[in-house]
Amino acid sequence: MTTTRRNLFKLAGGAAAGSLLTPAPWRLITDTALLSENWPGVPRPKRGEVSYRFGNCALCTAGCAVRARCVAGQPVALAGVEAHPLSRGALCTYGIAGHHLPYHPARLRQGPVAEASAAVQSAIRTLRPNEHCAVLDLRPGRTASWTYRRAMASVRNGMYLASESNTAVDLASAKTVLSLGVPVLDGWGTPGNVWALRGGFHLIQAEPVESRTAVMADLWLPIRAGSEAALLDAVRGGSASDAAAQTGLSEQQIASLARELRENGPSLVLDRNGASPMIARREAPVPEEWKKAVPATQLASVSEESIRVLLIDESMPGEYLPWSAIQPKLTSDCVVVSFAWSKEGYGRQARFTLPAAVYPEVVDDIPPAIDSPAAMFRLAAALVAPPEGMVSPTGFIAGLAGIDAKNALQERVAAIQKSGRGSVFDPSGAAKPADLWKALQAGATWIDDREPRASVISTQIASPLADDKNRSSAPLAIAFSEPRAAALVSPLMSKVTNESGLRLGTHGVAIHPSDARGAGLAEGSRARLETASGFVTVDISVDDTVPPGVIQVGGGPDLQNVCGANRRGRVVAL
Amino acid sequence: MTSSKKTIKAARYGMTIDIDRCNGCGACMVACAVENNIPPVPQGGDRKGLTWIRVYKVDNGAQGADRRSAFVPMLCQQCGNEAPCAHVCPQNAVEIDPATGIVGQMPERCLGCRYCMAACPYHARYYNWWDPAWPAGMERTLNPDVAPRMRGVVEKCNFCHARWHAAREQAAADGKPDTEPVNYVPACAEACPTHAIRFVDLNQTSVEGFRMLEKLGTEPKIFYQSKRDWVRQIAEAPRPTANGSKQGKEASRG
Repeated sequence: MTTTRRNLFKLAGGAAAGSLLTPAPWRLITDTALLSENWPGVPRPKRGEVSYRFGNCALCTAGCAVRARCVAGQPVALAGVEAHPLSRGALCTYGIAGHHLPYHPARLRQGPVAEASAAVQSAIRTLRPNEHCAVLDLRPGRTASWTYRRAMASVRNGMYLASESNTAVDLASAKTVLSLGVPVLDGWGTPGNVWALRGGFHLIQAEPVESRTAVMADLWLPIRAGSEAALLDAVRGGSASDAAAQTGLSEQQIASLARELRENGPSLVLDRNGASPMIARREAPVPEEWKKAVPATQLASVSEESIRVLLIDESMPGEYLPWSAIQPKLTSDCVVVSFAWSKEGYGRQARFTLPAAVYPEVVDDIPPAIDSPAAMFRLAAALVAPPEGMVSPTGFIAGLAGIDAKNALQERVAAIQKSGRGSVFDPSGAAKPADLWKALQAGATWIDDREPRASVISTQIASPLADDKNRSSAPLAIAFSEPRAAALVSPLMSKVTNESGLRLGTHGVAIHPSDARGAGLAEGSRARLETASGFVTVDISVDDTVPPGVIQVGGGPDLQNVCGANRRGRVVAL
Repeated sequence: MTSSKKTIKAARYGMTIDIDRCNGCGACMVACAVENNIPPVPQGGDRKGLTWIRVYKVDNGAQGADRRSAFVPMLCQQCGNEAPCAHVCPQNAVEIDPATGIVGQMPERCLGCRYCMAACPYHARYYNWWDPAWPAGMERTLNPDVAPRMRGVVEKCNFCHARWHAAREQAAADGKPDTEPVNYVPACAEACPTHAIRFVDLNQTSVEGFRMLEKLGTEPKIFYQSKRDWVRQIAEAPRPTANGSKQGKEASRG
């Protein structure tokens, strides 16, 4: 037999076909898959000793108790603490991934600290008699807030700007709750506490969009956007027919609502500006010498063009005041310094934006939430070290006034212990820790004794908003969908925003298909949202569960800034 | 030489999900991603990412003021009988653990053919189109008990199998017999702030509720509960959607 080229080809072909019947090629494929597991593109998690640390979440005033699972000292997972008397083991969507914030790509890592300090000091030296140096505190009620008030008492024409922080609602005694668009069951107050009390009150949710709270409420009243004040007026004895015309509800529905609030009391009315009734909550004790501090001033009562230096502490998330309300109060040569996590929020308007440590890098106290009638004192533990170059807002502002505030938290804790008030929840199980400061650093919560007769405060709710004065002709009524404004959220929040569309992102808005067609927009388009306060670029989601004529907006600071004081807006295709 | 035979008391892990208590907050989705090292969607990417558990918003089909919605968390239903994904996998990458009843997915065996995705009637499997990537530095927060999966494989919920292993190790360290089932809780059930999701051993606890697509006979181990008729009817639908009106999106917001 001679070897021909044809036979060689036959042999090679037969061998190739036959090898498919052997395990070899299949094994090769499997081995390739195994190899791919260790490609450089696949990160390898760090290993090390597992430990648990307790603290409190600082992302909002709920301050839910947190148990951090740490590997080699690095937190890799956060969970709630079941035994905590207020948060009861709950952590919200934002809080569960809070340990990712230090690694957010949009985080500020450097800033012109020396230049800002020099500009502020120069401006303070040359303050004219009718000009102020002011601190705007987005999260009042902290020990840092007292430091700002003390510092402003030492600075010429110093002023401390903040909203009221010593009021609360008594949800535990309420039998009927009328919520005017408040996300009662979606992050309002302390989520664990609200859910624990849920069985005790009848929840009526009045808002145009069927929100997550409306889905879970006992009754959802789909009112027209912007008609909250008319509804409230009617249930307080005003004209039901006028309210029916404005809200879109029937007169019978309004009469029934009024009857329920009257007969099934105590009733509580909540809206995004406050609640009625509210009760006064005494503050956690502070050292006597701190009380020579300036009081809190509401921004609205400040004269126009009177603030020469404005220092904004947005290092802890809080309520954003719209820039359109702040700007008229500033002089033309005002020096604005913002202490922030990112350029979102006031970073766009400030002359200097200085990077601040993010949660959970810094020890700070968390003021009590709106649903806590008793004062509380708890600390957000520093679970990881902040990077180089972070600026402490309290250190910066105390330094300007020449006061020493390094040990302010310890001094406050000593004052609390000295007062003899309250009780302590300690996650380690200790009934009454001997060293309160040490226990608080390890995740304990001091809870004040509740005053037997807390004074009831009448609060204006469903107040008219800025653009009502101008009778804005913008076609879309604004409805908020998210419980709070967050400058930074974990990148994993993409699971609930981008990947599932369950929530609106920080620049997300949703409109009805007919409104989208009218504006020439489609799902995923980018557009400009304009209100009387300004404009912001947004991502459009087209959703037929949003009623025509309504724009549902997410919770980023930019959206709060533009929409917070307005009821109407328009979207323009980019 | 003597041989001893151990009688293993198998567990049959399952879940109850009370739809009437789910407010669609998404905490379960984020907790799952944290626990199982599921990466965020790539910057600028328009693809749908990996979500081992995904909360869908469903409604009663009415319009205007009569429309009522509910949130339905969907995850691998852990079929207890004739799991379609296990049947079609050419690589034996899907295995049902007899000790727990958990339908497991082994990425190192998976070829990425996606037959299992086509076979799964619950659309609870996801294909890894890209290498997993986190923002710089965030790799430090990964859970060392769960290996990140490479691109080109299918992923799905495994009832936080790493937690089960950790519970087994803890039980062994505590001197408990290895024939007994262990108690543990997956991340989604632990994170649910309304306690809508509960994790149970079906061999020890009797549960009530309805199961998705029961007519297929796959015997899912996820039991849903609701007092609303129209919500219970969604179990017969091929897939919950927002009334079919949400073109290009699988869910809508709350």
